[in-house]
Amino acid sequence: MSDTFSFLLMAWLDPGLLSLTALGVLAGIYIGAIPGLSVTMAVSILISFTFSWDINNALALMVGIYVGGVYGGSRTAILLNIPGAPSAVVTAFDGYPLAQRGEAGRAIGLSTVMSVIGGFIGVAVLAGTAPYLSDLALQFAPRDYFLIAIMGLLLVSTLSGKSLARGIFSVALGSTIGLVGMDMVTAQPRLTMGSMELLGGIHYVVVMIGLFGVAEAFYQLHNMAKVPVKQNVDKIIPPLNMVLKFLPLSIRTSIIGVVVGALPGTGGDIASLFAYDHAKRTVKNPSSPFGEGAYEGLVAPETANNAAVGGAYVPMLTLGMPGDAVTAVIIGALVIHGLNPGPMLMIETPHIFWFTVGNLALANIFLLIFGMTGIKVFSKVVEIPKAILIPLILVLCVVGTYSINSNMMEVYWMLGFGILGYWLKVYGFQMGPIILGVILGPLLDETYRQAMSSVGDSSSDFLLALVANPLSLALTTVITLVLLGNTPLKGWIMARFARN
Amino acid sequence: MFKPLLTSLAVAVGSLAVAGSALADYPERNIQGTIQWGAGGATDNVARSLTPHVEEILDTTIVLTNRPGGTGVIGMNHVMRQRADGYNLLYGAENPQLYPLMGLADFTYDDMHAVNIIGQGLVVIAAHPNSPFDTFAELMEYARENPGELRMGGTGAGGLPSTVHAMINAVDELDVRDVTFGGDGPGVTALLGEHIDFMPLSLSAVAEQIRGGRLKGLAVLTSEELESLPGVPPITQALPDIEAFLPWGPFWGVFVHQDTPDDIKSTLEDAYEQAVAGDEFQEFLTNFGGATLNLSGDEAQAYLDNWQSVTAWSMHEAEAETVKVSPEELGIPRP
Repeated sequence: MSDTFSFLLMAWLDPGLLSLTALGVLAGIYIGAIPGLSVTMAVSILISFTFSWDINNALALMVGIYVGGVYGGSRTAILLNIPGAPSAVVTAFDGYPLAQRGEAGRAIGLSTVMSVIGGFIGVAVLAGTAPYLSDLALQFAPRDYFLIAIMGLLLVSTLSGKSLARGIFSVALGSTIGLVGMDMVTAQPRLTMGSMELLGGIHYVVVMIGLFGVAEAFYQLHNMAKVPVKQNVDKIIPPLNMVLKFLPLSIRTSIIGVVVGALPGTGGDIASLFAYDHAKRTVKNPSSPFGEGAYEGLVAPETANNAAVGGAYVPMLTLGMPGDAVTAVIIGALVIHGLNPGPMLMIETPHIFWFTVGNLALANIFLLIFGMTGIKVFSKVVEIPKAILIPLILVLCVVGTYSINSNMMEVYWMLGFGILGYWLKVYGFQMGPIILGVILGPLLDETYRQAMSSVGDSSSDFLLALVANPLSLALTTVITLVLLGNTPLKGWIMARFARN
Repeated sequence: MFKPLLTSLAVAVGSLAVAGSALADYPERNIQGTIQWGAGGATDNVARSLTPHVEEILDTTIVLTNRPGGTGVIGMNHVMRQRADGYNLLYGAENPQLYPLMGLADFTYDDMHAVNIIGQGLVVIAAHPNSPFDTFAELMEYARENPGELRMGGTGAGGLPSTVHAMINAVDELDVRDVTFGGDGPGVTALLGEHIDFMPLSLSAVAEQIRGGRLKGLAVLTSEELESLPGVPPITQALPDIEAFLPWGPFWGVFVHQDTPDDIKSTLEDAYEQAVAGDEFQEFLTNFGGATLNLSGDEAQAYLDNWQSVTAWSMHEAEAETVKVSPEELGIPRP
């Protein structure tokens, strides 16, 4: 027990580890804020860099960058409507309208506090239930991931804005983009039109930067004359009663985040989508309508994506299996440092587990500190004249895209998506459902084929499996209820009950 | 009379000196290393743990970049299009040797120069501890009586499981449901949750799971039992004829443009040979479940040719549906 405590507090008491964690969080916030610069990339560069270091130092820096980076994606989402990372796409829905209302400072302050709350809940779940949660995550068969992807598709109704038909079209377009590249099963090129460059598919961050960054920059040209909103930077730290008011919602969305994050097939991007949907369904009287600057619409994704960090560590520390791309790279770092990430990690080197838990908690404290700094300066970004801001955004988009895979071809694609996104915006299409399709399309394709081949390609056995297993049955029931809830049937049943 | 002679002599000496200094100077700036697979994968792990030792020997920085996609086609294509000056290296796995066969690209490692074939991964056929089978022979027997019933994890056409499956089918018949995953990781996760019955995997991906009792090995793809996996029988016990294809495994190597000057090639070859042989890297590789090869020059070429011929022909004989062209048409000799 005393050992556990000393491991937990290791990062807190050692000045070297303490400052590395702080440095990581600070660097992570800025890496995360730039679209295209990702935490995965930063952590893989660190592997070579920290090769000769002590493993604890390397891990402290990586934990810091991870926590800071997931949060950092929200900054540009709020200020410029350009999410710094896929898990911050949802943050832009209500964060950007808030900034347009002059509340950028308040939005960033709130998202910081909520990220920290989400982060702490994620750490608590990791510390308390890791072995059980990882056993639960292993229960998810390919068919269950398929059902989750279907549930994800139903989010289109939440993300479409005014026109559901346009939303459905956008999801279909996104899924098609997501399917470009080599077929996973047969290795045949799909929709590549003979191009070798397209064999690897179109990276979803390329699509995201194009649709959100470039398209937004072009769209802003419409209101060149509009004077930027004066930002109110007096009220940055959210008052306690506001935090308390959102506490029940933030706990629910954090739990969504940590569970979705712990599933090896899904991460913070999908978690934040589900959390937003949950908020929209359960919060009856938001501070403003959703999509027009509701604080609740900011609380849900920001808690969920930071809680997903703790979740992603669950399968990594208990089984040696990555919960997402970042933990995959951290596993590589452990291997290179001579440790054996696997089911024996917690038994043979328990200090790694408790050290990580303590370090994640510490990183969240630093997130609270650093997240509250620089907000005044950042908020001023919104006040920069468009003639300066728009070229800057375009440069940032190009640099960010190039840095994903150092591939010029992807920059051209990104610009192409920017132009496409601009026209879609002009004709009233939302960007959110397209990204939803890009993320879910490949997941649907993959898991449907896995589920079908598992039952010997028999459709009847496949349908039977969806209700024969308790977990699948639960997911199927939820999907059915959500579907029925959106049909006239619901009103009819309600009316019947009311009459009786 | 003398003057022109002296001049030309001076020029000759001068140019020699220039050439000499160019030789001695390599590498005079950072080298770019392209990894053809994503961050956190086996190729990435090998590249990132070997490179710091090479940097020390060459006294330069090697900037590593992952360029994944298209089973490595994109990364390799990138390096082949760079200048042949030794400042662009490719860290690759075995896949390019099958590109023409699968119709993915018209190049293979024959179109590059092998600096070093670092090592080879061992292969184990793994199952969940609850599985009724303790050896691969038992599994084969069940599959013969119940064709098309067992679920085998795979990673798609040309991946390691499909190649091992093809080798088995070249000497016997194994009719199973092929469930494809995005890589070793998702496959192992499905195996841990008993969503598939067995999966051929590289030892590096499952060694820890077997040691921790979360998975068990049914067979290793060797002709003798492994010291590191006592009690797991060699596959030859179940299928003696498969010995003709062994030793076989996924491999990792470092490559440069074919037209790179010879002196630079040899500088790189020496540096990598020394780094791979170093104690620290050897310890990593053993821990990682790999076997050292450390081959360069003709030996490396012979290894690559043999690997290609064994794999291509076993896939062809098993009539794997992914084989677009006969190995014969591509000029790949029979093993």
